[in-house]
Amino acid sequence: MTRIELITSLQKIVKPYVQDQEAFKNLSEETDFINDLKINSANLVDVILDVEDEFDIEIDNESMEKMLSVKAAIDIIETKLADS
Amino acid sequence: MIGNDIIDLSVAKLESNWQRRGFLDKQFTENEQQLILSATNSFVLVWKLWSMKEAAYKIYAQKNEMRFFAPKKFVCLLISKKKGLVYFKDQIFYTSTIVTQDYIFTLASLEKVTKPYSKFVNPQVIDRMIKIKLEDVTALSAIEIEQKKSKNGAPSYHYKDILLTRSCSISHHGNYGVYSLLYA
Repeated sequence: MTRIELITSLQKIVKPYVQDQEAFKNLSEETDFINDLKINSANLVDVILDVEDEFDIEIDNESMEKMLSVKAAIDIIETKLADS
Repeated sequence: MIGNDIIDLSVAKLESNWQRRGFLDKQFTENEQQLILSATNSFVLVWKLWSMKEAAYKIYAQKNEMRFFAPKKFVCLLISKKKGLVYFKDQIFYTSTIVTQDYIFTLASLEKVTKPYSKFVNPQVIDRMIKIKLEDVTALSAIEIEQKKSKNGAPSYHYKDILLTRSCSISHHGNYGVYSLLYA
């Protein structure tokens, strides 16, 4: 999967949790889940669980700690996919 | 230093499903999970413990530039119905939680005894209400009071170069908004 494809799937995953639609429209690698998309921190775990289901990977606690932006999430998904 | 968190329970019910596979395990320690599963009202305990973790994290975020998402590392201990402790690394945070049918509010503090000012306000106008409160307390003009945010989003209030809040925490969820202040 290319990075663009990964971002597109991630976009679908975060959509239901996004509270700032304007920021969502302009989503890029630099977009921050909490500061930009205003995703409730309690929903971050849903994003992580959805990512696990969608890509059939396991996100360990250490990786989860860093999953605060699109870029961080894509990096982690890429690494996990390469390992699996 | 203080941190707060508010949870609108009707919104939490809609936004999250705590029974979802993996949900508890990603955020709660083994002990916390057992407490939750054996509680008469598991739903309320999930959000009570979550609000304790979140309020403690908000203190940590005021002291440190690093942002991270590691709720499981903030370990909760319930002391009484209201009082609790949250441990993170070598730090202890003292928490006080109010649970009603409609919301859960936690205030965490680094000091065992603090007298912060907390107020529930309309979530749309929290910033304005804080400025008005600071105007009342300091006799400075609210228009000239400014909010600044640290790199990781922790707010503080200033009048020109003067810091007005020694610690400030803002939280909103659903129909609820709340701010907590320690004056400088």
